[in-house]
Amino acid sequence: MRSMRSTRRALVAGGAVLVALLAGLALAALAGAGPATTIGALAEGMAGTPYAIGKSLNTAAVLMLVGAGFSLAHRAGLVNVGGEGQLCAGGIAATAVGTTLPAATPALVGVPLTLLAAFTAGGLWAAIAAVLLVRRGTSEIITTLLLNFVGLALVTLMVHEPTLLRQPVTSSETLPQSAPLVDGAHLPLLGVERSPATVAILLALIATAVIGVVSRHTPAGLRLRALGQSPAAAARLGVRAGPTRVVALSTAGAFAGLGGGLLVSTAPALLAEGFTSGFGFAGLVVGLLAGGSMLALTAAALLLAFLTSGGINLQLVAGVPSTTVAIIQSLIILLIAATATWAAGKKATR
Amino acid sequence: MGLLVLEDLGRSFGPVRALHGVSLTVAPGTVHCVLGENGAGKSTLCNLVYGGFAPTTGTMTLRGRRYRPGSPAQALAHGVAMVHQHFSLVPTMTVEQNLLLGGRGLRLRKADLGRRLERIAGEFGLTVPRDALVGDLPIGARQRVEIVKALLPGPDLVLLDEPTAVLDGPEIEALIATCRAVAASGRSVVLVTHKLGEVAAAADEATVLRSGTVAGGGPLAGDASVPRLLALMLGRDPDDLDPAVTAGLGVRVDVATGDATDVDAATGDATVGDAAAERAGGSAGREPVLRVEGITLGRAGRTRILADVSLTLAPGEIVGIAGVEGNGQSDLVHVLSGATRADAGTVHLGGVDITRATPARRTALGLGVVPEDRHHEAMVGAMSVAENLYLARLGDFRRFGLLDRRRLDTAAADVIASFDIRTSSPRTPMGSLSGGNQQKVVLAREVAIPGLKVLIAAQPTRGLDVGAVDHVLARLRAVAAGGVAVLVVSSELPELLALCDRIHVAYSGRLLGPVPAGGERAADEIGALMTGAGRSAAAPANEETGAVA
Repeated sequence: MRSMRSTRRALVAGGAVLVALLAGLALAALAGAGPATTIGALAEGMAGTPYAIGKSLNTAAVLMLVGAGFSLAHRAGLVNVGGEGQLCAGGIAATAVGTTLPAATPALVGVPLTLLAAFTAGGLWAAIAAVLLVRRGTSEIITTLLLNFVGLALVTLMVHEPTLLRQPVTSSETLPQSAPLVDGAHLPLLGVERSPATVAILLALIATAVIGVVSRHTPAGLRLRALGQSPAAAARLGVRAGPTRVVALSTAGAFAGLGGGLLVSTAPALLAEGFTSGFGFAGLVVGLLAGGSMLALTAAALLLAFLTSGGINLQLVAGVPSTTVAIIQSLIILLIAATATWAAGKKATR
Repeated sequence: MGLLVLEDLGRSFGPVRALHGVSLTVAPGTVHCVLGENGAGKSTLCNLVYGGFAPTTGTMTLRGRRYRPGSPAQALAHGVAMVHQHFSLVPTMTVEQNLLLGGRGLRLRKADLGRRLERIAGEFGLTVPRDALVGDLPIGARQRVEIVKALLPGPDLVLLDEPTAVLDGPEIEALIATCRAVAASGRSVVLVTHKLGEVAAAADEATVLRSGTVAGGGPLAGDASVPRLLALMLGRDPDDLDPAVTAGLGVRVDVATGDATDVDAATGDATVGDAAAERAGGSAGREPVLRVEGITLGRAGRTRILADVSLTLAPGEIVGIAGVEGNGQSDLVHVLSGATRADAGTVHLGGVDITRATPARRTALGLGVVPEDRHHEAMVGAMSVAENLYLARLGDFRRFGLLDRRRLDTAAADVIASFDIRTSSPRTPMGSLSGGNQQKVVLAREVAIPGLKVLIAAQPTRGLDVGAVDHVLARLRAVAAGGVAVLVVSSELPELLALCDRIHVAYSGRLLGPVPAGGERAADEIGALMTGAGRSAAAPANEETGAVA
């Protein structure tokens, strides 16, 4: 029963990807690029070089972390749309720690410290929304969404204000960005030749596996699910709704914050405006598509990450706007959402 | 010729045949009663006639023409209206606004509505307060609004689904009068119910559904046909059942003198009888285990939801709370279970003040609750039976920090066997079980609370079929016989009379009584209290009120 349903899900997802890619090809053809050129450019950008693969893996790691956090909160019935803001909080904290550490800090100390700061900051950022929800009943969808704008503005403030995180201003051409993190805070590379891939993907895989096991195979995970499915029944059965919600949403924020830390500790290892590249929202999409399955989450994160870097190459080589890829991504999401009832194997009631 | 003729009607959901081979004829100007237990196919039949879904086999004929409604809107256009068991009214709008919702186009035809309301009032004696907020109306008045809403388009056929479920005695009589008036105007009324006794007076003819098909039927002439139809509906002799069960079906039996020992022999639980007898005699002097004092809910100035409610329960005692729904009994259960916090008053459980305790703490102190709203408060439908049974005690099934599913399933399998829960495995999703089996899971879980002192059961038999009702009542008796204090909140007065030692009545946020359940005139006294009359006014109460409410 369960395996049949997951096969069905996978088929639907695969079909959606195929249809979306075909639509993308048609759009590219409108822009003057034949299917062969388009596919070639996309494939080249996605996996043509070790550089492209490494770049995609780094992106996938961030998407996985945001998505896994989203899944965890979603289990408890919470919708965390604040990935963007939590990435910002994590990035700021990581930069603050990474730029103040002594230059000689060994990576074994510097990297964990930097990432721990990012993890904590992301968690605290989400905790604002969680506490508002539990104490005041404010919808976490609204608060996490609005905190995104605060987070993004905070990054701008940080990198423009010399007394905060802006690099020392030496001339009028000094860019509004932070000083680079000390070497000891740089994320180690995986060591594949000519690849920028860092250990981020390993961290993300471990984090995803841990979330998967905790949510499915521990008493805490079951209580989380009960709370999400039926708050009244869960309360009757001794689940403390308030604290559980705070922990779930804060953990989601912490994982997104960790993603922000990964972003700033990867080359060029500094904080700049727009460093999140919208990964907070892309991660949300990954979490939505995965529907609670950590395997699907990994697959979705990889797909979106590879498509994104493929899109950049598409513009460079084939002259097709890279937004075509954004359209393909959106189509995949729409198709999967619209066919969700097929995937579940039952008829829509209305 | 019939107004509505069903021939060999059937409907399947996948491999499940919900309804098959149903043929019946509703004559014009009559009240036709469709009887059946929960799960007999009554709702499916209503949905077929009202256009909820299409039949898989058979035909329907309305006024001699083939009738195939694709939606409730089409059914309405054909002159078929329906009053659902759960009202579809917007509580924050006035009666008039609610009635105008059914209109077409952009204009609100208030004058037209007024004329038609006057006609309905004249023809059927049905009046509704046009400017009152629906939320402020008592249940009986809301149902009148629903019936008026159904009559507004001038239908030929009105379907009423379980109309008596939420009404008290006088309201049921008013409903019966309305049904007769509608039938007298040449229209037909179909009453769909499992409480034959309550509507026998209204109906001309009855059709009995059992396991999805017609088990029999015929004209209703006098009281003699009632036991026969009841036996048809149950598929066994009503005398084999707990009198509390048959009483719940609205059949008048002498419940006040019901002999507890007989009852328990019938349910195969012989030891309970003696304990029950002992219980009735010996509970008076015992120290109460649950002491509720002065519970008040709701702001001062406005109508209080609960006003100064006090109650004590001794070990081994079964105390009932009767009353028409919406008189505060649900809120009292919420206060006792810890879901809502009272504005004033205290609750003591075994000497410990639990007024502000969390539900988990209350459970730890030995308070079990079978909540009224099973689907929202008592279970998580998407989770398995085993998970639902042990959600509160998952810590006991940990191995290396992870959940030991095998041990969980083994433990659940034992409970499933001892409570006779029909499920294919402990891992079956709770939501796919029948209502009766779900209730057994909930009851099994609450009864198994370590050191259980008090069990609160709110509407424990609602929506269950007769067999499950029998089981639940026997369990409640057994729990009390084991020395647990049991509080039963129910709108099924006959059930309470057969089960409880004494009965309180909830009336607009207050708790009246108690009335000893064994008394000769207990039903009458309680019936009077339910309408708000003081105990002194109980004597002249209508004799039928108690038995049918």
